[in-house]
Amino acid sequence: MNILIPHSWLLEQLETKATPKEIQKYLSLCGPSVENIILKEGENVYDIEVTTNRVDNMSVRGIAREAAVILSQFGLEAKLAKLDLSVGNINESKLPKIKILNNPKICKRVTYVILENIKQAPTPPWMIKRLKQIDQNVHSALIDITNYITHELGHPCHAFDYNKLIMSGGEIIITEAQKNEKFTTLDGEAFQTLGGEVVFKNRKGEIIDLPSIKGTLNTSVDEKTTNVLLLMESIVPKKVRYASMTHAIRTIAAQLMEKGVDPNLAPISMNKAIKLYQDLCQPDAVSPIYDDFPKPTKLPNIILDKATLKLYLGVELENKQVTQILTDLECLVTPKGQTQLIVTPPSFRSDLLAPVDLVEEIARIYGYHRLQSQLMSTALPLNPVKTQNFDLENKIKILLVHLGVQEFYTYSLVSEELAKQSDLPLLEHIKLQNPLSEDMVYLRRSLIPSLVDAKKQNPNQPDLEVFELANVYRPQKNDLPKEELMLGIVSGKNYRNLRGKIEVLFESLFIKNYQFLNHQTKSLATIVATAVDGQKITLGWIKVSQDNLILAQIAVSKLNKVAKTHPVYQRIAKTSPVIEDLTFGLNADTLVGEVINTIRSASKKIINVQLKTIYRNNLTFTITYLDKETNLTNLVIQPIREKIVKMIEDKKLAHLVGTLVSSKHD
Amino acid sequence: MLNIKDLEAKITLVKNTLDQDLSHNLSYLQLKTKYLGKHGLFKNISELITQLSPAEKPQAGQKLNQFKLELEKLISLKFTQPQPKNKVDYTVPGLQPKIAKLHPISQAIMEISQIFEKIGFVRVRYPEVDWDWYVFESLNMPPEHPARDEWETFFIDTPDTSQDVSYDEKNPRLRHPSLIGGKQVLTTHTSNGQVREMERVGSQPPIRMINISRCYRRQQDATHTQMFHQFEGLVIDKGINIQHLKGTLDYFAKEFYGPSVQSRIRPFHFRFTEPSFEVDFSCHICGGTGKIDNQKCKFCKSGWHEVGGAGMVHPNVLKAGGINPEEYTGFAFGWGVERTYTLKPGLSIDDIRLLYSSDLRFLTQF
Repeated sequence: MNILIPHSWLLEQLETKATPKEIQKYLSLCGPSVENIILKEGENVYDIEVTTNRVDNMSVRGIAREAAVILSQFGLEAKLAKLDLSVGNINESKLPKIKILNNPKICKRVTYVILENIKQAPTPPWMIKRLKQIDQNVHSALIDITNYITHELGHPCHAFDYNKLIMSGGEIIITEAQKNEKFTTLDGEAFQTLGGEVVFKNRKGEIIDLPSIKGTLNTSVDEKTTNVLLLMESIVPKKVRYASMTHAIRTIAAQLMEKGVDPNLAPISMNKAIKLYQDLCQPDAVSPIYDDFPKPTKLPNIILDKATLKLYLGVELENKQVTQILTDLECLVTPKGQTQLIVTPPSFRSDLLAPVDLVEEIARIYGYHRLQSQLMSTALPLNPVKTQNFDLENKIKILLVHLGVQEFYTYSLVSEELAKQSDLPLLEHIKLQNPLSEDMVYLRRSLIPSLVDAKKQNPNQPDLEVFELANVYRPQKNDLPKEELMLGIVSGKNYRNLRGKIEVLFESLFIKNYQFLNHQTKSLATIVATAVDGQKITLGWIKVSQDNLILAQIAVSKLNKVAKTHPVYQRIAKTSPVIEDLTFGLNADTLVGEVINTIRSASKKIINVQLKTIYRNNLTFTITYLDKETNLTNLVIQPIREKIVKMIEDKKLAHLVGTLVSSKHD
Repeated sequence: MLNIKDLEAKITLVKNTLDQDLSHNLSYLQLKTKYLGKHGLFKNISELITQLSPAEKPQAGQKLNQFKLELEKLISLKFTQPQPKNKVDYTVPGLQPKIAKLHPISQAIMEISQIFEKIGFVRVRYPEVDWDWYVFESLNMPPEHPARDEWETFFIDTPDTSQDVSYDEKNPRLRHPSLIGGKQVLTTHTSNGQVREMERVGSQPPIRMINISRCYRRQQDATHTQMFHQFEGLVIDKGINIQHLKGTLDYFAKEFYGPSVQSRIRPFHFRFTEPSFEVDFSCHICGGTGKIDNQKCKFCKSGWHEVGGAGMVHPNVLKAGGINPEEYTGFAFGWGVERTYTLKPGLSIDDIRLLYSSDLRFLTQF
């Protein structure tokens, strides 16, 4: 939360000669962060970020309190101003009291005062200036005083029209609403309760206020108001939050009270409010203050071990210094033996509950900047994660990039349209309950639609090839989804080109025995490889889309099963290979892969078969023959050549083009 | 009928013509059109194959194939290499092989990983879709707590399977998802990895974790994307203190941004750390002074950049991970990968959405 504090206002609560720049610098180092000093209405105004656990800082006095403690640490004189609680001569009002029926379980304190016959005065210029400096609207003195007090001292208060309260029965019953009860806030908006919100009701059961949040129209002050009931209550924070969030009424009062404003601030705020009403609205008389505070705040006694402080800071601080800091922060400090302190925090520090909370207070006021900086020399953990292989992921990315495939990052959340393009039913996608936009609703089951989409965004680069390594999300019953890391590739080149890159990738990962197998039913190829233990593993698939894009998706965890970090060394042969070409004219339905496999199978001496050229349906293959022990002669090779041709022709795959020419190696 | 010798003769003729043409100043396009075009010389010859006998056709086909390749080679050779003379012209530009680029986020993650792995951190990756318990509750944020408002959470459209087991601060593992299931969310931060890491090592420190993962928040504008990356560091052992956190932050700052960069910590608040800090790094542009030539430095706040949060692990979080806070202490920090990366000199990117776009003009710069 942010709060605006004009410097001149701060100086009414803080006695110091420190400059705004100094205040900004030192506060930010040891306390709330002063993000900016803004010039408003010709004066310096601090824009301060207050963390949600420090609602005690959400007021001018709260910031002044912090500044008083912190500035002193830097040798600057600073003192929290004493509050002037004098109210001057007042006539006591004899107006009948409003009866309060409280439920202490939901409301910890109720304080009110009746101001009799107030004058409907305009807001004075000095208050208008301040309200503008803190970005608040100006109404009339009657209303603005409540906002002013809230900002100055931190406890919200509400002005009721006393006569309206009397007319509605003269009672305030503090209770939880039932379901579907109606109320209209003071700006005319109508609501229906959900049940459980803390409300004020009259004896007829009508809702007459939404306490600690917003007033209702039926009891609100207006231009005709003559008598005012100024009331401060302390509703249990959880209940304030519940009502405020349920109906989305996020007033300043609600945002403060839901964080637990100290009920002990009520008397001071009430006093200051009465004084302001006296000055600006001149009531004829003021009633005695009604205060119902059945259970005064019980403050914890926290035992702080000096060893704990040393443990967190890594350095031992002097007792005197530690006690001084805590006392400055208004804690009660009593030594317990030589090594402990019993610390009682002030009532406005409900965030201080455990020793470690005190450690934070001492350390920040002492100054984090004063602590040394050194790396830990503790033991190194020796338990790498077994289910992920980050080295492999990096290798894949770097290699693909060097092969010309551009890395993209696309969103894990996709639109309904993209989800449907994954070839898996929409129902088998994980869906968001509260998406922000239509293009991000489902967690994707495939990377391909997003990558195709991304590629299409670059129509002037038809040759573009893209890849991404990211999770896809498979729903599992009664459990978190299975997040599977996938390598997705989309290429605008051609099948042989992308397949070639994938093959190079596999070779670089020392994956042997990989195969691209025509799928039985679908128009794609399944990519398989053999694991170290001999198991055949399906790595993924590759296909040509309707738009002639080449698509491929491979599961990285499966790659991890077959990839190795180094090869099995093959002793370098002392003999020379024989490399020669054979050209075959393929028959109409022949698959090239089958021809290659047939050639390979003709002899163990064939160590490599490469497709060299394609001219219409004539394919030239480069065949490498090698015997590691003896140099091959034509005598040995010719029968193999003949066997190759016979096998091919017997299987009716193709016919030899040309004749079997003897090699020159004789 | 033609025979193969005739064909060979015609091929030779065309080769001679090309030889002559190559020494003249014909353009690439002109040569390609004349020899390899739709009505080019090669086309003319290749059509003659139909006039050969069936016996000779295969061989003729081979010769034509070879011939075509030769033509292509000779023509392109002329235009990719300068004419060999005795003197070599070294000002001729290089022929760059076409490579692509690693995405900047990958580059950032690789660098961040390496920096922490050098000081013994273990890289991990924890779920993006996680139980509410790991994302909030185990981090000292009870159900319905206002602290959760800090993050705009995406909820998964699955029921909250946790039975009516009430939250008990003194018993943080009472509502563990393995016991009662729960509500699934998209994690808003990598902090969901803290208790998961404690569980992974059987609640036995030492722990030095670097968790890098995708995170999600219901927010989108020039400085926020619904999906982004964070990295989370967690160190737990006996005697870990604030000085060690400062040391680690300084180490990272110097490694990632340069030897002159410093870190500083200021008070902040998270439910899962106590004390909590905001972490700043000194501005590399103004050298941390806040001024350039007596003018206010526009890139930073008074000499510093806010990077993210950090803190000493809250005792309740240690307990949620089965670790005794009386025996062990630890620190944690969690920052955006994109934000941290774009604080590098020269990388102030005005719109973070570019990182997830398909704009090659952006991606190929890295």
